[in-house]
Amino acid sequence: MRTALDVNGLSYRYSDGTAALDDLHFQVQESECVGLIGPNGAGKSTLLLHLNGVLPETLARTATLSVFGEPLVEANLRSIRRQVGLLFQDPDDQLFCPTVYEDVAFGPKQLGLDPAEIVPRVLAEVGLVGFESRSPSRMSHGEKRRACLAGVLACDPAILVLDEPSSDLDPRGRRELIALLRRLPITKIIASHDLELVVELCSRVLVLDRGKIVADGPTTEILNDEPLMLAHGLERPHILRHSHPH
Amino acid sequence: MKAGELFASSADLDSPVHRLPAAMKLWIAVAMVVLVALAPKAWWFVPWGAALFLALVSGLSRVPARVLVGRLLIVEPFVLGVAILSLFQENGVSIFLALLAKSTVCIYTMVLLSCTTPFTAWIDALRQARVPSIFVTTVALMYRYLYVLLDEALRMRRARAARSFAPNRRFDWRLLASVAGQLFLRSTARAERIYSAMLSRGWR
Amino acid sequence: MSVPRPQGYSDGLAIQWPRPNAPSRLDEETAMHIPDGFVDARTAVATGLIAGAGVGVALREVRRSLPPSRMPLLGVSAAFLFAAQMLNFPVAAGTSGHLVGGVLAVALLGPAAAVIVMTTVVVVQCLLFGDGGVTALGANVLNMAVVAPLVGYLPYRMLGRLLPGERGRAISIGVAAWLSIVVASILCAGELAFSGTASWSAVFPAMAGTHMLIGVGEAVITALVLSSIAHARPELLAGPDRATSPAPSGTAGFAAVIAVALAVFVAPFASPWPDGLEHVADRLGFGTAAAGPFLQSPLTDYALPGVTSPAFATIAAGLVGAVIVFLLSFVLGRALVPKTRGRTR
Repeated sequence: MRTALDVNGLSYRYSDGTAALDDLHFQVQESECVGLIGPNGAGKSTLLLHLNGVLPETLARTATLSVFGEPLVEANLRSIRRQVGLLFQDPDDQLFCPTVYEDVAFGPKQLGLDPAEIVPRVLAEVGLVGFESRSPSRMSHGEKRRACLAGVLACDPAILVLDEPSSDLDPRGRRELIALLRRLPITKIIASHDLELVVELCSRVLVLDRGKIVADGPTTEILNDEPLMLAHGLERPHILRHSHPH
Repeated sequence: MKAGELFASSADLDSPVHRLPAAMKLWIAVAMVVLVALAPKAWWFVPWGAALFLALVSGLSRVPARVLVGRLLIVEPFVLGVAILSLFQENGVSIFLALLAKSTVCIYTMVLLSCTTPFTAWIDALRQARVPSIFVTTVALMYRYLYVLLDEALRMRRARAARSFAPNRRFDWRLLASVAGQLFLRSTARAERIYSAMLSRGWR
Repeated sequence: MSVPRPQGYSDGLAIQWPRPNAPSRLDEETAMHIPDGFVDARTAVATGLIAGAGVGVALREVRRSLPPSRMPLLGVSAAFLFAAQMLNFPVAAGTSGHLVGGVLAVALLGPAAAVIVMTTVVVVQCLLFGDGGVTALGANVLNMAVVAPLVGYLPYRMLGRLLPGERGRAISIGVAAWLSIVVASILCAGELAFSGTASWSAVFPAMAGTHMLIGVGEAVITALVLSSIAHARPELLAGPDRATSPAPSGTAGFAAVIAVALAVFVAPFASPWPDGLEHVADRLGFGTAAAGPFLQSPLTDYALPGVTSPAFATIAAGLVGAVIVFLLSFVLGRALVPKTRGRTR
């Protein structure tokens, strides 16, 4: 099994000087699904943005991050962005085109691929057939989220990085999303407060607090560690209480 | 009014008029407006002919008359506002009436065009007309985020209304400015996130 | 430009677009968006050319100097300004005005990007809402998207340097906003009079008078909005100054466009006499030249009541004036606006 993602000493400061990420070290293996949990402001979103080199400051430093052995430096930027697909927290940020079709076709066009073949396939994959000419402003939140996912999948990423994928979804939308993500065989990194979703999808969990990784291990083990969870603004999910009574 | 009704929803109906290529409709409409607006006064038949043609197309378009007339009436007061200035000269009344007829026909042309052309078709038409890409992108983003912005504005108003117990009759300049300022700050933050989203999907 | 205010909301946000559908009294309405039928062919072509030149300069400038990371900001700002134009404020006695936002745009985005964004807004209003005519598009883009932002730009930068601090910025932005509205409205009046739609003696006081009042509202709101933004994120206001400060060529191009527009549409009426056109032409010695056979034939085709051949002569005079104004503002601009490269402080 190959190493999909290797983070080795990643640090990041905001422009005002506060440390957002502080010397992170971890690896993610191919086709692993890793949950990233932690309180608000822990640096989860910042970490995710680094994973495909969106924050320009990252590049100036020596590579502390590599994707399938490729270090994140200016020269590799395009190939790394191609391999890492990023699903943003607010679908309105990501669906910037006037129609679903154009939005899903955006990535393939940038990469020089043929959207005519790809777009129908990924729309079918996320269950949005018939939405091609719909305007995102007239779609439900769940539909928008799936359209975003289609736009990311259209770039054919090797690693899928998701920021709060279940936020603002109703129970059915959430259920459909979980089922959809489970069907995707690729490597996934999911940042979420929805710990039940993490339990269902992820085999391993990283706990991030104040820019540091405070725990890294199998999902059930970490989420059942009540003192650890409470110390970092989290709680043991109900789903584990029932299946693993202490 | 819901922000969603800002752009004509009847543009998504289906009719022979809706199915015509947008670029073609745009050029026909522009040509007609130019003809009507610039025709000498002696050519009184031009606006009437145009009005007849528009009535015919309106019928074919299946857009409810209520919608068309409603949108016309929204803009009409502003025509009157300018037209009134023309009264203060020789033959003022006849100039006033001619102006009114002309501009009403022209406005109706554009209203009918926008009620039968979906926004995405507009964008394609602009592209075809070789409008510089920076404008096309700006128009597309503007359309996309106008709704998002208006929703934000409405939520801010609702949140404030929920906390104020008596309706404030006095106009509050600072409130207006802070709403606008907030909206711009959110817009900037949004633009930064959109840029990240574009980058992450391979944009150069 | 002026609409009845929706009742019950003190924030003045009229979500109904383009205008609240409430019954309105006609005498409350004055408009900056010129509809179709109000400008003649000559004016349509002339304004179209001048506006095109202005937008062209802006386009070149934006392509040259706008960092790609600010590209999405153009579109989102266009949406913001579109929404901002729905903000109504009371002017006097039940009348209300709405924001034009030219100076707001220039202070937030820099001059070139402001022209692009404002042009987008005006064009979409014209094509999609019939708000502002197709044949008047050149005039409307010129007034609201080119002249309104740019006329405010120099006073904003100049006064901003003279009057430091938060209060200084508020004053300079207010003056700039007021000027931009008044100049744009005078230009609008000039275009209407030039088209023979209304007489200058009626349209000038009506437009300039109301907009001197409406301009106060624009000034207050623009200043308040900018100070609220400056409080939250001061770097946003500093940004455009540094990042997209136009090259001298850009400033010169803009100054030329404004000077020509003013010369062509306002200068002919600048004389206090009712027959100001002829008077100015005579005084400047163009009257006889214009009557020459070379100019006669095209003129007869376009002759309109009240506008005879000396009008063209006056334009020629105006253009000479424009060159002078342009040179003056160029020199002033170079002297007062610091060069980008010279900034080592």
